[in-house]
Amino acid sequence: MSQIVAILISTLVLGSIYGLVAIGMTLIYGTLRILDMSQGSMVMIGGFVAWGVLVVANSDPVVALVAAFAATFVLGTFTQLISVQPLMSRRSDLDFEMVTFITTFAVAIVFSNLALQIFGPFQKDVPPVISGSVSIIGQNLSYQSLAMAVTSIVLMGALGLFLARTRWGLAIRAVAQDLDAARTMGVPVGRLYPLTMGLASALAGIGGVFLGAQFFASPTAGDLPLLEALIVVIFGGLGSLSGTLYAAYAIGFIQSAAIVTIGETWTLPVLYGVILLVLIFRPYGLRGNPSEARL
Amino acid sequence: MNDASRVGKLPKLSAGSRLGIVALIAIVAAVPVVYTNHYVLTFLVTALITLVLNTSWNFVLGIAGVWNFGMLAIYAIGAYSEGLVMLHTGMPAPIAVLLGGVAAGAFSVLLAFPTLRLFGIYTSLLTFSFAQVVQFVIVNDPKGLTGGSFGFPTVKGLYPNLGPLAQLRAYYWTVLAVVVVATFAVAWIRSSRLGIALRTIRDAPAYAAARGVSPLKYRMLAFAISGFIAGVAGGLYLSYNQSITSSVMGLTPMSIDVTMLVIGGLGTLFGPVIGTGLLTFIQQALIDYPGVQLSILGTILLIIVVFVPGGLVGLISRTRRRLSNWVEEDETALPTTEEAARSTEAGT
Repeated sequence: MSQIVAILISTLVLGSIYGLVAIGMTLIYGTLRILDMSQGSMVMIGGFVAWGVLVVANSDPVVALVAAFAATFVLGTFTQLISVQPLMSRRSDLDFEMVTFITTFAVAIVFSNLALQIFGPFQKDVPPVISGSVSIIGQNLSYQSLAMAVTSIVLMGALGLFLARTRWGLAIRAVAQDLDAARTMGVPVGRLYPLTMGLASALAGIGGVFLGAQFFASPTAGDLPLLEALIVVIFGGLGSLSGTLYAAYAIGFIQSAAIVTIGETWTLPVLYGVILLVLIFRPYGLRGNPSEARL
Repeated sequence: MNDASRVGKLPKLSAGSRLGIVALIAIVAAVPVVYTNHYVLTFLVTALITLVLNTSWNFVLGIAGVWNFGMLAIYAIGAYSEGLVMLHTGMPAPIAVLLGGVAAGAFSVLLAFPTLRLFGIYTSLLTFSFAQVVQFVIVNDPKGLTGGSFGFPTVKGLYPNLGPLAQLRAYYWTVLAVVVVATFAVAWIRSSRLGIALRTIRDAPAYAAARGVSPLKYRMLAFAISGFIAGVAGGLYLSYNQSITSSVMGLTPMSIDVTMLVIGGLGTLFGPVIGTGLLTFIQQALIDYPGVQLSILGTILLIIVVFVPGGLVGLISRTRRRLSNWVEEDETALPTTEEAARSTEAGT
């Protein structure tokens, strides 16, 4: 019983944070048709911002979240402008996905090495956003994890509302569905792309604040979240928001179950094994479809 | 000469280019005779081993067009297999290197199956996942065969009986020979039936299917060949360093290798040579600044991909074409100016 509770709690927490990081990648893929490899560095930068605000400036967690959101929004927009926007004219080329995969990856290399230069290779302790914990049927759930899950869910909900109800959200969905039609209707595509990537990066940055407190802030802190987010987006199908959500919690569940039953070490291979199987039977993930409209 | 009669032949080169290639190989081969600095030679041998790996990677990524990002795992499988053969059977090192290549080719073929149904980015993620799992298994190997994160136990090299400099020279020439053979093999395959089939599957999958080109067969062949070459590269790495750790895999080495390929020009014959050579040189120049090294590589990668599509080889061939067009224009333009001069003369 307590094992089941442990798995469920962990599923909720892990799934939410995966969802937060992965949904940004899905949003970017759906709109720009690129796989953004710099999302991991946004998580890393979020962690360092949290460290800067909470430890160096000794300030409020809310300030940390806002600062991380702002910093990664700006950096994400900047990343788009230098690594993707100049290539947008080659969008219909066969190797567009490959080329942007490489350029965003190049940006990620630069970011993590700049962080290495500025902050050094040593891990920095980030205090939890909220301390304390609550006990649920014998299982300890820290307020930190709870806050992480709640913030992620709220942000994902807010993103959903943004996409469904606002003009900019409508524009993003329109571009995802039909670029040319959106252009004819006057959607400012040139401004929309950087905005989308900034927004997605900011979500990853918020994730980074929580993950930084959960683990550490370090130049390589973004690598694992990037891999996990990649697993989630493939599992769910690139470009499908609902697929990403299901996949985030499914991956969270598989990982939690693996941690509780066979131990921490083998969870990543188990996940990759699952991905291998999913891709063999469903080459576009759970909900992905190459030709249909996305988002 | 039409295209069909060129099938299975090396690309046609002018006498000058052929001479250039022979001269280049001769110059590179002469380096350890003239230059005996231990540090520089060590470094060059490592670069040549990377070039072997990059040649095979270029084949599968550029020519076959399969986004295989698991090559470093195949490379490591080749190295570890060779090491296991050496440690447990006492076979001579060259045979062990070849067996490592065969093992790597076999794993590579296994990897080809799940990629068949995938497209583009999904393939890269799957193969990268495969590489992560391989790295993980090597690090956390429960039976202790791989030495975990401490690295593989020391094995004998290819030339245990030679002195330090002679050994270094022997490795240099061995690896250089492998580079030449691998490059020519890829060049030959590229224009063979296999290469044409692969390029058709890459560029026009529907047309390939309509012409009865089996993706399964050709992709398996491509993976087997590239896996074998990469495995041999891994075997050479292990023999040369007499040890290996799982740090040869992972994001950093992968980003460096992919940068080399893209900067040189993916899918071109000399792209790997130019990319590997240039990046090795840059890495060496920046060796005193290890922190900024990767940042600069990343920046170069970004600039090349954005501004120089097709890499340096693409840039060179475009420039050459423009130059020859310009020369031709000039040649045709010359008489007209003479005519113009004559007509003005006549006018006066």
